[in-house]
Amino acid sequence: MSVNEKFSSLRKGLLEFLVLKVIAGDKVYAADILQELSGTEFATQEGTLYPLLSKLRREELVDYEWKESEAGPPRKYYRLTAKGREQLQETLDYWQKINATLKNLGLKSRP
Amino acid sequence: MNKVITINLGGNAYQLEEGGYDALRSYLDAAGRRLEGNPDRDEIIADIERAIADKVRGVLGANKTVVLAREVAAIIAEMGPVEDTADADTAAGTPESTPAAAPGTAGAKIPPRRLYKIREGAMVSGVCNGLAAYFRVDVTLVRLVFAFVTFFYGTGLLVYIILAIVIPSAETTEEKAAAQGTPAATAQEFIRRARAGYYEGMRTFGDRKAHREWRRRFKDEMRDWSRDFRQEMHQHANRWWQQGGPTWTPRSGAWFALPFLSLFLGLIAILGLWVGYTLITSGTVIGLPLPASMPVWVAILFLIVVIQAIRWPFKAMRRSYYCGGYGPPCCGPLGFLWHLCVWAAVIWFIYWLTQGGHSATLHDLAQHLPGKLHHALSSLKQWWEQL
Repeated sequence: MSVNEKFSSLRKGLLEFLVLKVIAGDKVYAADILQELSGTEFATQEGTLYPLLSKLRREELVDYEWKESEAGPPRKYYRLTAKGREQLQETLDYWQKINATLKNLGLKSRP
Repeated sequence: MNKVITINLGGNAYQLEEGGYDALRSYLDAAGRRLEGNPDRDEIIADIERAIADKVRGVLGANKTVVLAREVAAIIAEMGPVEDTADADTAAGTPESTPAAAPGTAGAKIPPRRLYKIREGAMVSGVCNGLAAYFRVDVTLVRLVFAFVTFFYGTGLLVYIILAIVIPSAETTEEKAAAQGTPAATAQEFIRRARAGYYEGMRTFGDRKAHREWRRRFKDEMRDWSRDFRQEMHQHANRWWQQGGPTWTPRSGAWFALPFLSLFLGLIAILGLWVGYTLITSGTVIGLPLPASMPVWVAILFLIVVIQAIRWPFKAMRRSYYCGGYGPPCCGPLGFLWHLCVWAAVIWFIYWLTQGGHSATLHDLAQHLPGKLHHALSSLKQWWEQL
Protein backbone atom coordinates (compact mmCIF):
# COMPACT_ATOMS: atom_id res chain seq x y z
CA MET A 1 0.00 0.00 0.00
CA SER A 2 1.50 3.28 -1.10
CA VAL A 3 1.64 6.29 1.16
CA ASN A 4 -0.85 7.92 -1.10
CA GLU A 5 -3.42 5.17 -0.55
CA LYS A 6 -2.67 4.86 3.12
CA PHE A 7 -3.54 8.45 3.77
CA SER A 8 -6.60 8.70 1.58
CA SER A 9 -8.97 8.70 4.52
CA LEU A 10 -6.80 11.21 6.33
CA ARG A 11 -6.89 13.48 3.30
CA LYS A 12 -10.60 13.09 3.12
CA GLY A 13 -10.98 14.14 6.73
CA LEU A 14 -8.69 17.08 6.17
CA LEU A 15 -10.49 18.29 3.06
CA GLU A 16 -13.05 20.19 5.09
CA PHE A 17 -10.30 22.04 6.95
CA LEU A 18 -8.49 22.86 3.71
CA VAL A 19 -11.62 24.16 2.07
CA LEU A 20 -12.15 26.44 5.06
CA LYS A 21 -8.57 27.63 4.69
CA VAL A 22 -9.02 28.40 0.98
CA ILE A 23 -12.22 30.29 1.63
CA ALA A 24 -10.57 32.27 4.45
CA GLY A 25 -8.25 33.98 1.95
CA ASP A 26 -10.84 35.74 -0.15
CA LYS A 27 -14.38 35.40 -1.39
CA VAL A 28 -14.20 32.46 -3.73
CA TYR A 29 -16.52 30.42 -5.87
CA ALA A 30 -16.40 26.66 -6.22
CA ALA A 31 -14.23 26.58 -9.34
CA ASP A 32 -11.64 28.78 -7.56
CA ILE A 33 -11.47 26.31 -4.69
CA LEU A 34 -11.00 23.38 -7.07
CA GLN A 35 -8.40 25.37 -8.98
CA GLU A 36 -6.44 26.09 -5.84
CA LEU A 37 -6.58 22.50 -4.64
CA SER A 38 -5.90 21.00 -8.04
CA GLY A 39 -2.12 21.24 -7.83
CA THR A 40 -1.99 19.67 -4.36
CA GLU A 41 -2.47 16.20 -2.92
CA PHE A 42 -5.97 17.33 -2.06
CA ALA A 43 -7.21 17.72 -5.63
CA THR A 44 -10.92 17.02 -5.71
CA GLN A 45 -13.96 17.29 -7.93
CA GLU A 46 -17.30 19.09 -7.95
CA GLY A 47 -19.07 15.88 -7.05
CA THR A 48 -17.31 15.90 -3.70
CA LEU A 49 -16.97 19.63 -3.17
CA TYR A 50 -20.59 20.72 -3.51
CA PRO A 51 -21.98 18.35 -0.89
CA LEU A 52 -19.12 19.40 1.42
CA LEU A 53 -19.83 23.11 0.90
CA SER A 54 -23.48 22.60 1.63
CA LYS A 55 -22.59 20.74 4.81
CA LEU A 56 -20.29 23.58 5.91
CA ARG A 57 -23.07 26.04 5.23
CA ARG A 58 -25.49 23.97 7.26
CA GLU A 59 -23.03 24.04 10.14
CA GLU A 60 -22.86 27.82 9.68
CA LEU A 61 -19.13 27.82 9.05
CA VAL A 62 -19.45 29.40 5.62
CA ASP A 63 -21.91 31.68 3.96
CA TYR A 64 -22.41 32.63 0.35
CA GLU A 65 -23.73 35.44 -1.77
CA TRP A 66 -24.91 35.41 -5.35
CA LYS A 67 -22.90 37.31 -7.93
CA GLU A 68 -23.69 37.76 -11.60
CA SER A 69 -21.10 36.26 -13.89
CA GLU A 70 -20.13 37.68 -17.28
CA ALA A 71 -21.79 34.80 -19.05
CA GLY A 72 -24.18 32.17 -17.84
CA PRO A 73 -25.91 31.72 -14.50
CA PRO A 74 -24.98 33.71 -11.39
CA ARG A 75 -22.37 32.18 -9.12
CA LYS A 76 -22.24 31.54 -5.42
CA TYR A 77 -19.31 33.26 -3.77
CA TYR A 78 -18.40 31.73 -0.43
CA ARG A 79 -16.86 33.43 2.61
CA LEU A 80 -16.24 32.36 6.18
CA THR A 81 -18.59 33.24 8.99
CA ALA A 82 -17.30 34.30 12.40
CA LYS A 83 -17.94 30.77 13.58
CA GLY A 84 -16.04 29.39 10.59
CA ARG A 85 -13.11 31.67 11.25
CA GLU A 86 -13.05 30.54 14.88
CA GLN A 87 -13.14 26.90 13.89
CA LEU A 88 -10.41 27.42 11.32
CA GLN A 89 -8.21 29.06 13.93
CA GLU A 90 -8.86 26.21 16.37
CA THR A 91 -8.01 23.64 13.72
CA LEU A 92 -4.86 25.55 12.73
CA ASP A 93 -3.71 25.68 16.34
CA TYR A 94 -4.42 22.00 16.76
CA TRP A 95 -2.54 21.27 13.53
CA GLN A 96 0.46 23.22 14.83
CA LYS A 97 0.34 21.13 17.97
CA ILE A 98 0.30 17.91 15.97
CA ASN A 99 3.19 19.21 13.90
CA ALA A 100 5.19 20.06 17.00
CA THR A 101 4.47 16.66 18.49
CA LEU A 102 5.56 15.02 15.25
CA LYS A 103 8.78 16.99 15.25
CA ASN A 104 9.64 16.39 18.88
CA LEU A 105 8.73 12.73 19.25
CA GLY A 106 11.74 10.52 19.59
CA LEU A 107 14.13 13.44 19.87
CA LYS A 108 14.15 13.74 23.62
CA SER A 109 17.27 12.24 25.06
CA ARG A 110 16.21 9.34 27.21
CA PRO A 111 17.77 9.03 30.63
CA MET B 1 -26.09 13.10 -37.73
CA ASN B 2 -27.45 12.89 -34.22
CA LYS B 3 -30.63 14.06 -32.60
CA VAL B 4 -30.23 17.09 -30.34
CA ILE B 5 -32.03 17.68 -27.08
CA THR B 6 -32.36 21.12 -25.52
CA ILE B 7 -32.00 21.25 -21.77
CA ASN B 8 -32.17 23.89 -19.08
CA LEU B 9 -29.18 24.14 -16.76
CA GLY B 10 -29.26 26.86 -14.17
CA GLY B 11 -31.70 28.94 -16.20
CA ASN B 12 -29.93 28.75 -19.57
CA ALA B 13 -30.74 26.54 -22.54
CA TYR B 14 -28.13 24.19 -23.92
CA GLN B 15 -28.29 21.75 -26.77
CA LEU B 16 -26.89 18.29 -26.18
CA GLU B 17 -26.61 15.29 -28.43
CA GLU B 18 -29.09 12.64 -27.46
CA GLY B 19 -26.47 10.24 -26.08
CA GLY B 20 -25.01 13.08 -24.04
CA TYR B 21 -28.40 13.99 -22.69
CA ASP B 22 -29.03 10.43 -21.53
CA ALA B 23 -25.63 10.28 -19.88
CA LEU B 24 -26.22 13.56 -18.07
CA ARG B 25 -29.70 12.52 -17.00
CA SER B 26 -28.30 9.31 -15.60
CA TYR B 27 -25.51 11.18 -13.80
CA LEU B 28 -27.92 13.63 -12.19
CA ASP B 29 -30.36 10.85 -11.27
CA ALA B 30 -27.52 8.94 -9.62
CA ALA B 31 -26.48 12.11 -7.77
CA GLY B 32 -30.02 12.60 -6.54
CA ARG B 33 -30.12 9.02 -5.29
CA ARG B 34 -26.76 9.35 -3.60
CA LEU B 35 -27.93 12.46 -1.76
CA GLU B 36 -31.16 10.82 -0.63
CA GLY B 37 -31.89 12.09 2.88
CA ASN B 38 -29.56 15.05 2.64
CA PRO B 39 -31.51 18.17 3.67
CA ASP B 40 -29.66 20.24 1.05
CA ARG B 41 -30.18 17.76 -1.74
CA ASP B 42 -32.01 20.08 -4.13
CA GLU B 43 -29.53 22.84 -3.54
CA ILE B 44 -26.54 20.60 -4.17
CA ILE B 45 -28.12 19.31 -7.36
CA ALA B 46 -28.74 22.90 -8.46
CA ASP B 47 -25.10 23.74 -7.68
CA ILE B 48 -23.94 20.79 -9.71
CA GLU B 49 -26.18 21.74 -12.62
CA ARG B 50 -24.73 25.24 -12.57
CA ALA B 51 -21.20 23.83 -12.49
CA ILE B 52 -22.03 21.62 -15.47
CA ALA B 53 -23.47 24.66 -17.25
CA ASP B 54 -20.16 26.47 -16.63
CA LYS B 55 -18.23 23.61 -18.16
CA VAL B 56 -20.65 23.24 -21.05
CA ARG B 57 -20.16 26.88 -21.92
CA GLY B 58 -16.46 26.17 -22.08
CA VAL B 59 -16.88 23.77 -24.99
CA LEU B 60 -19.30 25.96 -26.92
CA GLY B 61 -18.34 28.79 -29.21
CA ALA B 62 -19.76 31.15 -31.79
CA ASN B 63 -19.75 28.42 -34.43
CA LYS B 64 -20.38 25.49 -32.14
CA THR B 65 -23.80 25.41 -30.52
CA VAL B 66 -24.23 21.72 -29.75
CA VAL B 67 -22.46 19.73 -27.03
CA LEU B 68 -21.29 16.36 -28.32
CA ALA B 69 -21.93 13.16 -26.39
CA ARG B 70 -18.23 12.62 -25.79
CA GLU B 71 -17.87 16.16 -24.46
CA VAL B 72 -20.67 15.47 -22.01
CA ALA B 73 -18.90 12.29 -20.94
CA ALA B 74 -15.69 14.26 -20.39
CA ILE B 75 -17.54 16.87 -18.32
CA ILE B 76 -19.16 14.17 -16.19
CA ALA B 77 -15.76 12.57 -15.65
CA GLU B 78 -14.40 15.95 -14.59
CA MET B 79 -17.25 16.45 -12.14
CA GLY B 80 -16.59 13.14 -10.47
CA PRO B 81 -19.18 11.01 -8.72
CA VAL B 82 -21.34 12.89 -6.26
CA GLU B 83 -20.61 11.80 -2.71
CA ASP B 84 -22.50 12.73 0.35
CA THR B 85 -19.96 13.98 2.88
CA ALA B 86 -22.43 13.42 5.68
CA ASP B 87 -21.84 9.78 4.92
CA ALA B 88 -18.54 9.06 6.66
CA ASP B 89 -18.09 5.61 5.17
CA THR B 90 -18.07 6.52 1.52
CA ALA B 91 -14.88 6.07 -0.41
CA ALA B 92 -12.13 8.63 -0.11
CA GLY B 93 -12.82 11.79 -2.03
CA THR B 94 -9.64 12.43 -3.96
CA PRO B 95 -9.64 11.13 -7.49
CA GLU B 96 -6.22 9.47 -7.35
CA SER B 97 -7.23 7.46 -4.31
CA THR B 98 -10.30 6.01 -5.97
CA PRO B 99 -9.13 4.35 -9.13
CA ALA B 100 -12.43 2.50 -9.24
CA ALA B 101 -14.26 5.76 -9.85
CA ALA B 102 -13.30 5.79 -13.48
CA PRO B 103 -14.71 8.60 -15.59
CA GLY B 104 -18.43 8.43 -15.99
CA THR B 105 -19.14 5.49 -13.73
CA ALA B 106 -21.40 7.53 -11.50
CA GLY B 107 -24.43 5.44 -10.69
CA ALA B 108 -22.85 2.21 -11.89
CA LYS B 109 -24.17 0.29 -8.93
CA ILE B 110 -26.60 -2.39 -9.95
CA PRO B 111 -30.17 -1.55 -9.03
CA PRO B 112 -32.55 -4.28 -7.89
CA ARG B 113 -34.31 -5.87 -10.81
CA ARG B 114 -37.90 -4.79 -11.16
CA LEU B 115 -40.81 -5.82 -13.30
CA TYR B 116 -41.58 -3.26 -15.97
CA LYS B 117 -43.09 -3.26 -19.41
CA ILE B 118 -40.31 -2.78 -21.93
CA ARG B 119 -41.58 -1.10 -25.05
CA GLU B 120 -38.38 -1.36 -27.05
CA GLY B 121 -38.81 -4.38 -29.29
CA ALA B 122 -42.25 -5.09 -27.89
CA MET B 123 -44.95 -6.76 -29.95
CA VAL B 124 -47.99 -5.45 -28.16
CA SER B 125 -47.28 -3.56 -24.98
CA GLY B 126 -43.99 -4.99 -23.76
CA VAL B 127 -45.35 -7.28 -21.04
CA CYS B 128 -43.60 -10.37 -22.43
CA ASN B 129 -40.46 -8.36 -22.96
CA GLY B 130 -40.50 -7.19 -19.35
CA LEU B 131 -41.22 -10.67 -17.99
CA ALA B 132 -38.42 -12.11 -20.11
CA ALA B 133 -35.96 -9.55 -18.79
CA TYR B 134 -37.15 -10.12 -15.25
CA PHE B 135 -36.82 -13.90 -15.33
CA ARG B 136 -33.83 -13.82 -17.67
CA VAL B 137 -35.41 -16.03 -20.29
CA ASP B 138 -35.89 -15.66 -24.01
CA VAL B 139 -38.75 -13.39 -24.89
CA THR B 140 -40.01 -15.81 -27.55
CA LEU B 141 -40.44 -18.43 -24.86
CA VAL B 142 -42.59 -16.09 -22.78
CA ARG B 143 -44.70 -15.22 -25.81
CA LEU B 144 -45.16 -18.91 -26.58
CA VAL B 145 -46.28 -19.59 -23.03
CA PHE B 146 -48.84 -16.81 -23.27
CA ALA B 147 -50.06 -18.03 -26.66
CA PHE B 148 -50.28 -21.59 -25.32
CA VAL B 149 -52.17 -20.63 -22.20
CA THR B 150 -54.55 -18.61 -24.37
CA PHE B 151 -55.85 -21.93 -25.74
CA PHE B 152 -57.31 -22.67 -22.32
CA TYR B 153 -60.40 -20.50 -22.40
CA GLY B 154 -58.32 -17.48 -23.39
CA THR B 155 -56.68 -17.34 -19.98
CA GLY B 156 -53.39 -16.19 -21.48
CA LEU B 157 -55.01 -13.25 -23.19
CA LEU B 158 -56.84 -12.30 -20.02
CA VAL B 159 -53.71 -12.55 -17.88
CA TYR B 160 -51.86 -10.55 -20.51
CA ILE B 161 -54.44 -7.78 -20.43
CA ILE B 162 -54.36 -7.64 -16.64
CA LEU B 163 -50.57 -7.56 -16.61
CA ALA B 164 -50.54 -4.88 -19.30
CA ILE B 165 -52.73 -2.73 -17.09
CA VAL B 166 -51.02 -3.49 -13.79
CA ILE B 167 -47.31 -3.39 -14.66
CA PRO B 168 -45.88 0.08 -15.13
CA SER B 169 -43.79 0.66 -18.19
CA ALA B 170 -40.15 1.59 -17.98
CA GLU B 171 -39.97 5.21 -19.05
CA THR B 172 -36.81 6.70 -17.57
CA THR B 173 -33.30 5.44 -18.11
CA GLU B 174 -33.24 4.36 -14.47
CA GLU B 175 -36.40 2.32 -14.83
CA LYS B 176 -35.14 0.80 -18.04
CA ALA B 177 -31.95 -0.21 -16.29
CA ALA B 178 -33.96 -1.64 -13.40
CA ALA B 179 -36.15 -3.57 -15.82
CA GLN B 180 -33.11 -5.17 -17.42
CA GLY B 181 -31.28 -5.58 -14.12
CA THR B 182 -28.23 -3.96 -15.67
CA PRO B 183 -26.21 -1.17 -14.10
CA ALA B 184 -27.83 2.18 -14.68
CA ALA B 185 -26.52 3.17 -18.05
CA THR B 186 -23.37 5.19 -17.72
CA ALA B 187 -21.99 7.79 -20.07
CA GLN B 188 -19.72 5.25 -21.69
CA GLU B 189 -22.45 2.71 -21.98
CA PHE B 190 -24.67 5.23 -23.71
CA ILE B 191 -21.96 6.28 -26.08
CA ARG B 192 -21.20 2.66 -26.82
CA ARG B 193 -24.84 1.96 -27.52
CA ALA B 194 -25.20 5.10 -29.60
CA ARG B 195 -22.23 4.01 -31.68
CA ALA B 196 -23.63 0.53 -32.01
CA GLY B 197 -26.75 1.99 -33.56
CA TYR B 198 -28.82 1.25 -30.53
CA TYR B 199 -30.91 4.33 -31.09
CA GLU B 200 -31.24 3.78 -34.83
CA GLY B 201 -34.81 2.61 -34.42
CA MET B 202 -35.83 5.73 -32.56
CA ARG B 203 -34.16 8.03 -35.05
CA THR B 204 -35.83 6.47 -38.03
CA PHE B 205 -39.26 6.49 -36.52
CA GLY B 206 -40.38 9.35 -38.71
CA ASP B 207 -39.17 7.71 -41.86
CA ARG B 208 -41.38 5.80 -44.18
CA LYS B 209 -39.54 2.52 -44.35
CA ALA B 210 -39.43 2.10 -40.59
CA HIS B 211 -43.08 2.95 -40.41
CA ARG B 212 -43.94 0.33 -43.03
CA GLU B 213 -41.91 -2.23 -41.13
CA TRP B 214 -43.82 -1.38 -37.99
CA ARG B 215 -47.15 -1.74 -39.79
CA ARG B 216 -46.12 -5.07 -41.20
CA ARG B 217 -45.35 -6.30 -37.71
CA PHE B 218 -48.66 -5.06 -36.46
CA LYS B 219 -50.50 -6.93 -39.25
CA ASP B 220 -48.58 -10.11 -38.47
CA GLU B 221 -49.61 -9.79 -34.88
CA MET B 222 -53.23 -9.33 -35.81
CA ARG B 223 -53.07 -12.35 -38.10
CA ASP B 224 -51.58 -14.49 -35.35
CA TRP B 225 -54.18 -13.29 -32.97
CA SER B 226 -57.11 -14.12 -35.24
CA ARG B 227 -55.60 -17.53 -35.99
CA ASP B 228 -55.39 -18.27 -32.30
CA PHE B 229 -58.95 -17.17 -31.91
CA ARG B 230 -60.20 -19.40 -34.74
CA GLN B 231 -58.32 -22.40 -33.42
CA GLU B 232 -59.85 -21.91 -30.06
CA MET B 233 -63.31 -21.73 -31.58
CA HIS B 234 -62.69 -25.01 -33.42
CA GLN B 235 -61.55 -26.67 -30.24
CA HIS B 236 -64.64 -25.55 -28.43
CA ALA B 237 -66.85 -26.78 -31.22
CA ASN B 238 -65.05 -30.15 -31.33
CA ARG B 239 -65.36 -30.63 -27.62
CA TRP B 240 -69.01 -29.84 -27.75
CA TRP B 241 -69.69 -32.43 -30.43
CA GLN B 242 -67.49 -35.01 -28.74
CA GLN B 243 -69.63 -34.65 -25.68
CA GLY B 244 -72.48 -35.70 -27.84
CA GLY B 245 -73.76 -32.33 -28.77
CA PRO B 246 -76.76 -30.98 -27.01
CA THR B 247 -77.59 -33.47 -24.31
CA TRP B 248 -80.66 -31.83 -22.97
CA THR B 249 -84.16 -33.02 -22.88
CA PRO B 250 -86.23 -30.16 -24.18
CA ARG B 251 -89.03 -28.98 -22.02
CA SER B 252 -92.43 -28.50 -23.41
CA GLY B 253 -92.61 -25.25 -25.33
CA ALA B 254 -88.83 -25.11 -25.74
CA TRP B 255 -89.02 -25.15 -29.52
CA PHE B 256 -91.17 -22.12 -29.42
CA ALA B 257 -89.40 -20.16 -26.69
CA LEU B 258 -85.77 -20.89 -27.51
CA PRO B 259 -85.46 -19.03 -30.81
CA PHE B 260 -87.23 -16.08 -29.28
CA LEU B 261 -84.96 -15.97 -26.27
CA SER B 262 -81.85 -16.32 -28.40
CA LEU B 263 -83.02 -13.59 -30.75
CA PHE B 264 -83.77 -11.34 -27.81
CA LEU B 265 -80.39 -12.00 -26.21
CA GLY B 266 -78.65 -11.32 -29.50
CA LEU B 267 -80.55 -8.07 -29.88
CA ILE B 268 -79.51 -6.95 -26.40
CA ALA B 269 -75.92 -7.84 -27.22
CA ILE B 270 -76.04 -5.82 -30.46
CA LEU B 271 -77.66 -2.94 -28.63
CA GLY B 272 -74.87 -3.09 -26.03
CA LEU B 273 -72.23 -3.08 -28.74
CA TRP B 274 -73.88 -0.15 -30.45
CA VAL B 275 -74.13 1.85 -27.22
CA GLY B 276 -70.50 0.99 -26.50
CA TYR B 277 -69.54 2.19 -29.97
CA THR B 278 -71.32 5.53 -29.59
CA LEU B 279 -69.82 5.85 -26.12
CA ILE B 280 -66.32 5.50 -27.46
CA THR B 281 -66.73 7.58 -30.59
CA SER B 282 -68.89 10.43 -29.38
CA GLY B 283 -68.90 10.09 -25.60
CA THR B 284 -72.70 9.93 -25.43
CA VAL B 285 -75.13 7.21 -24.39
CA ILE B 286 -77.98 7.14 -26.95
CA GLY B 287 -77.67 10.88 -27.36
CA LEU B 288 -77.21 11.63 -23.66
CA PRO B 289 -73.78 13.04 -22.82
CA LEU B 290 -71.77 11.39 -20.06
CA PRO B 291 -71.38 13.18 -16.72
CA ALA B 292 -68.22 15.24 -17.10
CA SER B 293 -66.49 13.57 -14.18
CA MET B 294 -66.96 10.02 -15.51
CA PRO B 295 -64.11 8.65 -17.60
CA VAL B 296 -65.05 6.62 -20.66
CA TRP B 297 -63.67 3.36 -19.31
CA VAL B 298 -65.83 3.57 -16.19
CA ALA B 299 -68.85 4.16 -18.39
CA ILE B 300 -67.92 1.13 -20.48
CA LEU B 301 -67.52 -1.06 -17.41
CA PHE B 302 -70.85 0.21 -16.16
CA LEU B 303 -72.42 -0.52 -19.53
CA ILE B 304 -71.08 -4.08 -19.48
CA VAL B 305 -72.53 -4.70 -16.05
CA VAL B 306 -75.90 -3.27 -17.05
CA ILE B 307 -76.07 -5.26 -20.28
CA GLN B 308 -75.05 -8.45 -18.50
CA ALA B 309 -77.60 -7.79 -15.78
CA ILE B 310 -80.34 -7.40 -18.40
CA ARG B 311 -79.22 -10.53 -20.23
CA TRP B 312 -78.83 -12.57 -17.07
CA PRO B 313 -82.48 -13.56 -16.40
CA PHE B 314 -83.07 -14.37 -20.08
CA LYS B 315 -79.98 -16.48 -20.17
CA ALA B 316 -81.08 -18.28 -17.03
CA MET B 317 -84.43 -18.91 -18.66
CA ARG B 318 -82.84 -20.24 -21.81
CA ARG B 319 -80.59 -22.45 -19.77
CA SER B 320 -83.50 -23.83 -17.84
CA TYR B 321 -85.03 -24.76 -21.17
CA TYR B 322 -81.82 -26.36 -22.37
CA CYS B 323 -80.91 -28.25 -19.26
CA GLY B 324 -84.19 -28.72 -17.66
CA GLY B 325 -82.86 -27.18 -14.48
CA TYR B 326 -79.98 -25.17 -13.24
CA GLY B 327 -77.43 -26.54 -15.44
CA PRO B 328 -73.80 -27.28 -16.10
CA PRO B 329 -71.11 -25.56 -14.06
CA CYS B 330 -69.95 -23.57 -17.05
CA CYS B 331 -73.09 -21.53 -16.84
CA GLY B 332 -72.90 -20.73 -13.11
CA PRO B 333 -71.98 -17.43 -11.51
CA LEU B 334 -68.37 -18.00 -12.66
CA GLY B 335 -69.74 -18.09 -16.18
CA PHE B 336 -71.16 -14.65 -15.60
CA LEU B 337 -67.78 -13.40 -14.42
CA TRP B 338 -66.14 -15.01 -17.38
CA HIS B 339 -68.53 -13.31 -19.76
CA LEU B 340 -67.85 -10.04 -18.06
CA CYS B 341 -64.14 -10.51 -18.62
CA VAL B 342 -64.58 -11.46 -22.25
CA TRP B 343 -66.79 -8.46 -22.84
CA ALA B 344 -64.34 -6.19 -21.07
CA ALA B 345 -61.52 -7.59 -23.18
CA VAL B 346 -63.43 -7.16 -26.42
CA ILE B 347 -64.52 -3.62 -25.63
CA TRP B 348 -61.09 -2.71 -24.35
CA PHE B 349 -59.68 -4.04 -27.60
CA ILE B 350 -62.11 -1.97 -29.68
CA TYR B 351 -61.32 1.06 -27.54
CA TRP B 352 -57.60 0.45 -27.96
CA LEU B 353 -58.01 0.16 -31.71
CA THR B 354 -60.01 3.35 -32.05
CA GLN B 355 -58.12 5.47 -29.54
CA GLY B 356 -54.61 4.17 -29.94
CA GLY B 357 -52.09 4.81 -32.66
CA HIS B 358 -54.02 2.73 -35.17
CA SER B 359 -57.01 5.00 -35.11
CA ALA B 360 -56.18 6.84 -38.32
CA THR B 361 -56.43 3.95 -40.77
CA LEU B 362 -59.22 2.21 -38.89
CA HIS B 363 -61.23 5.35 -38.53
CA ASP B 364 -60.88 6.08 -42.23
CA LEU B 365 -62.02 2.57 -43.00
CA ALA B 366 -65.09 2.94 -40.80
CA GLN B 367 -65.87 6.30 -42.39
CA HIS B 368 -65.51 5.15 -45.94
CA LEU B 369 -66.89 1.65 -45.59
CA PRO B 370 -70.50 2.50 -46.48
CA GLY B 371 -69.33 4.45 -49.52
CA LYS B 372 -67.02 1.69 -50.61
CA LEU B 373 -69.72 -0.94 -50.15
CA HIS B 374 -72.09 1.13 -52.22
CA HIS B 375 -69.46 1.50 -54.88
CA ALA B 376 -68.79 -2.23 -54.92
CA LEU B 377 -72.51 -3.02 -55.16
CA SER B 378 -73.07 -0.62 -58.02
CA SER B 379 -70.13 -2.01 -59.93
CA LEU B 380 -71.48 -5.51 -59.34
CA LYS B 381 -74.84 -4.37 -60.68
CA GLN B 382 -73.19 -2.88 -63.73
CA TRP B 383 -71.36 -6.12 -64.35
CA TRP B 384 -74.58 -8.07 -63.99
CA GLU B 385 -76.39 -5.85 -66.44
CA GLN B 386 -73.59 -6.21 -68.95
CA LEU B 387 -73.98 -9.96 -69.00
